[in-house]
Amino acid sequence: MSPYKNQVGQSIPKVDVREKVTGRAAYIADLSRPGMLHGAVLQSPYAHARIKGYDTSKALAVPGVRCVLTGADFTEHFMGAFIKDEGPIAIGKVRYVGEPVAVVAADDERTARRAARLIEVEYEELPAVLTPEEALAPGAPLVHEDLASYVKVFDAKFEGNAFSCTDLSEGDVDKAFAECDVVVEGTYETQAQYHLSLEPCGALAEVDANGRVHLWSANQSVFRVQANVCESLGLPMSKLHSMTPKVGAGFGNKMEAHIQPLVVALALKVQRPVKMILSREEDFEMVRARHPFKIRIRTGARKDGTLLAREVETLLDGGAYADDSPGVLGYSLLMARGPYTIPNTRCFGRVVYTNKMRFGAFRGFGNGQVAFAGEQQIDEIAHRLGIDPLEMRLRNAMRIEEPWFGGQQVNSNGLAECLEKVREKSGWGRRARPSRPGVKVGYGVAACAHISGLLATSAIVRMLEDGSFVLSTGATDIGQGSDTVLTQICADALKVTVDNVVCATPDTDGSPYNWGTTASRVTYTTGRAVAGAAEDVGRQIKEAAAKMLNCPVGDVELRDGGFIGVKGSNTTLPYAAVAGFTHWASGGPIVGSKSLIYDAPTIDPRRAVAIGLPFTRIGVFSFNALVVEVEIDEVTGKATVARAWSAVDVGKAINPRLVEGQIEGGIVQGLGFALTEEMVWDGGRLANPTLMDYKAPGAVDVPYEINSIIVEHPEPDGPFGAKGVGEISLVSVPAAVANAIFDAAGVRLHKLPMTPERVLTAMLGAD
Amino acid sequence: MTLFLEPRTVAEAVACFRDHPEARCMSGGATLVAMMNAGLADPPAVVSLRRIAELVGIAPAADGWTKIGGMTPHRVTAAETRLAGGQAIVRLAAGRIANPPVRNMGTIGGSISFSDPAADYPAALVAADAEIEVVGSGGGRRIAAQDFFVDWYTTALEPGEIVVAVHLPPAPRAAAAYEKLVKTEGDMGIATVAAVVEMDRGACSDLRVAVGACGPHPVRLRESESDLIGGRLDADAVARLASRLAEALDPVDDVRASSDYRRKVVPRMVARAIATARARAEGEQ
Ligand SMILES: Cc1cc2nc3c(=O)[nH]c(=O)nc-3n(C[C@H](O)[C@H](O)[C@H](O)COP(=O)(O)OP(=O)(O)OC[C@H]3O[C@@H](n4cnc5c(N)ncnc54)[C@H](O)[C@@H]3O)c2cc1C
Repeated sequence: MSPYKNQVGQSIPKVDVREKVTGRAAYIADLSRPGMLHGAVLQSPYAHARIKGYDTSKALAVPGVRCVLTGADFTEHFMGAFIKDEGPIAIGKVRYVGEPVAVVAADDERTARRAARLIEVEYEELPAVLTPEEALAPGAPLVHEDLASYVKVFDAKFEGNAFSCTDLSEGDVDKAFAECDVVVEGTYETQAQYHLSLEPCGALAEVDANGRVHLWSANQSVFRVQANVCESLGLPMSKLHSMTPKVGAGFGNKMEAHIQPLVVALALKVQRPVKMILSREEDFEMVRARHPFKIRIRTGARKDGTLLAREVETLLDGGAYADDSPGVLGYSLLMARGPYTIPNTRCFGRVVYTNKMRFGAFRGFGNGQVAFAGEQQIDEIAHRLGIDPLEMRLRNAMRIEEPWFGGQQVNSNGLAECLEKVREKSGWGRRARPSRPGVKVGYGVAACAHISGLLATSAIVRMLEDGSFVLSTGATDIGQGSDTVLTQICADALKVTVDNVVCATPDTDGSPYNWGTTASRVTYTTGRAVAGAAEDVGRQIKEAAAKMLNCPVGDVELRDGGFIGVKGSNTTLPYAAVAGFTHWASGGPIVGSKSLIYDAPTIDPRRAVAIGLPFTRIGVFSFNALVVEVEIDEVTGKATVARAWSAVDVGKAINPRLVEGQIEGGIVQGLGFALTEEMVWDGGRLANPTLMDYKAPGAVDVPYEINSIIVEHPEPDGPFGAKGVGEISLVSVPAAVANAIFDAAGVRLHKLPMTPERVLTAMLGAD
Repeated sequence: MTLFLEPRTVAEAVACFRDHPEARCMSGGATLVAMMNAGLADPPAVVSLRRIAELVGIAPAADGWTKIGGMTPHRVTAAETRLAGGQAIVRLAAGRIANPPVRNMGTIGGSISFSDPAADYPAALVAADAEIEVVGSGGGRRIAAQDFFVDWYTTALEPGEIVVAVHLPPAPRAAAAYEKLVKTEGDMGIATVAAVVEMDRGACSDLRVAVGACGPHPVRLRESESDLIGGRLDADAVARLASRLAEALDPVDDVRASSDYRRKVVPRMVARAIATARARAEGEQ
């Protein structure tokens, strides 16, 4: 037998790897139930219109059609993570092109889709607001007339179409700017980005003989699915059982509701199982996307490069429903200072309803947008002062003991090490590849921090009769490997190998609560609960063993490989013996649990003023520095990232290979955000809702070298010191690429994506 | 219900269209099937050319011409080293189409019949001075590539006519360069430039340049090209041709780029394509 090794810190293959590689993993589209019907949606052709009436007779006359539901079949119940403004379907009026107006259940998908097109809806078109500026104009039509009366889970500041306004500041900004030797100022714009999970959204609902609904769906949280369905349909939670198949990635798109409420409504109506899978176009048009930002920003420093002041104003397009927008706005302001000591910072932002699809959570959660602006300004100041941009960042990097903007204590901070590592590994300053005829080469750096944490989570560990364990957390593994990491944490805490721990599939009937797989939080937040539950089990194992061995509990300890040992002796008991004892003789089966909620306050009122911030306790900080090597084709202006070096302080890499996977994936998605991806509207209609016209980088487009560098500054209360890595590597990408473009071509881009057209136009303008 | 027909010979295929005038021809199906799936085409009958053996393959003829069968997949054309000299322009263009699955499935006959102006073959075939061989109920004919691509998604094919082959004239001493500007690799071009250059002791003895993806059909200016024949392809002369080409374009604004940008970038791409082809022609590789 090979000696037991710690399970944490090893690149163990994903626990579900065989299932995935052999193609047997079942995703939502693979599921089927006896007698199952298929659903289809009719979408709004108008950006803003009153619904005057429906005629469903033609659709109902189609053979095979079992049920049609329109807004007239729903009573007004609202859901929403921050502001409860959204029903399961358009009721009374439509607010964007593509919004669900009616749904059909039929014997097969083709019939359902055909019938949906036969539903006639009478509309009275209303004037629409398609940009935040239009929505803020005096006298602009209101997207939600009832905003004031909606239930809000925070003290929202709102007016007209602006549904959340937030202020966050520290220090005396005006005074500080007056003391600056250099001040840079600019406006920046970022685009809507599509999440592009390979798996489009879908759901399957079935009602049992007792009237309970069983629901499977593409999700990032079975509990948020349960909450959203129940809130929007007025169902008690005890009536809804939410489960998960394998999930084909989630980047924020599957955290809050998509079509689950509609599928449940159909199943309740027809009393047969109903499945609905969105087409790629529908997934583009009606799920959610990354917020377009407009950012006005000013940063000032002293001659020696010391940053003194920053002022930021953001305007976000929120789309037709609030969704996670208040959170994205507040978080973007919290991050807008960047990971630097800038004692005087003032941020203000608004998010505004428009007649477009809702914008919501997306990997980075507003951080990438503000970093694109802020990190270019750090470079600009460095350039003006003749300071190396990486050195400039090191000089201003937050000191280890310093609190975050707003006052939260930071307990681990590897920023300086991240910067030093990328400097060393990239050969920064040595310019490994000079420009050559036709190709301009440049290097750019950017740095950021990102949180992991947020809200409630819990874990239960049960010991089985043979001494192995079942771990339940309710956290959906969306492909990133959280089942593997949580299994490693549990196994290591109990000193067994991962094959002695089974990670149960999330299920609202059987799993303890987990807010969701979002906010880079599962390893850190759920990991803490898992470590706590495993510790609880370990304590109970020791108590039972002490009873068996007739010695004080203090004399026994857990030993490697699943044994109880008596301290100072070779006497051991295998876990199986303890499990047998508790199951059949004394004490009862061992069940350990841990519940927690992230609770360190974000704002210290002695330091900062925060108004309208929708969260009070956000999370712990991971840090990142990124260097990219960009090549610009001088003929076309096309910028390509040839190589990248990304160092991330993750506290402790529970599974280094999975950490690298997150760093690489974030960089690639960040490159799409930086260079090629852009949702374009033609009036109120999305002009490119297909992968033919919406271009994300493919295998040939990504850098041939992505160097992932793991930095470990342990988080004191993290599981084994770990903190999150899910989002952070994306955040710096647009800024680092923009800084490299400047280095290569001497032009600054203020608008994403940095297409060949925008780069060449800037280059020709600069000549 | 769609009728699916699989004729074994070109004559049988032509006959299918007599019986089913509304039928659609299917070569690789990469475009046609996608359109049917999206509800953009719903033909009563589909005439598949897949079983017509004589339509597949690339064959050099004794007179130096090369024949590419209409059913030849892009993958085969992209790998055909006998497409050399000026004919190489077609190989280079085939190699930039989409990605391996599409190159395995799509064919030259299907691509040019569809006549998407943003596709890769149109400009390449115009620069190659290719001729398109078509057969209909009235027999066969050859159409010059320049005359074949008529408008957006419109060719000189008469109803019931099918593309059977593409013929490339010899150009053994010339060399080719293909420029394709894309947002991401494998996408349809924002702009494409196909250049064929032959040099004779420092002087240009043949020059053919076609621009694609910037209007309803490829643009080539034979008269402006001839101004450069006999000269040394100096930067000014090339720039004159490039800017005339840019003026002759009729680009649109779309999700890939603006028309302004296309006009701005094309002359730059033309200059590079000519320079590259010239260097190759002069053996510099
Ligand atoms: C994802 C994707 C990416 C692509 N990217 C590119 C690209 O980058 N560059 C590029 O050039 N192309 C691209 N294409 C198009 C691709 O090359 C297609 O294969 C090609 O356009 C059609 O070829 P096919 O043989 O599949 O034709 P089919 O789909 O069989 O037919 C296309 C059309 O032509 C008609 N037709 C077919 N054969 C004949 C014939 N012999 N005579 C008369 N009419 C006929 C059909 O009725 C139909 O209308 C892409 C396609 C896809 C799906």
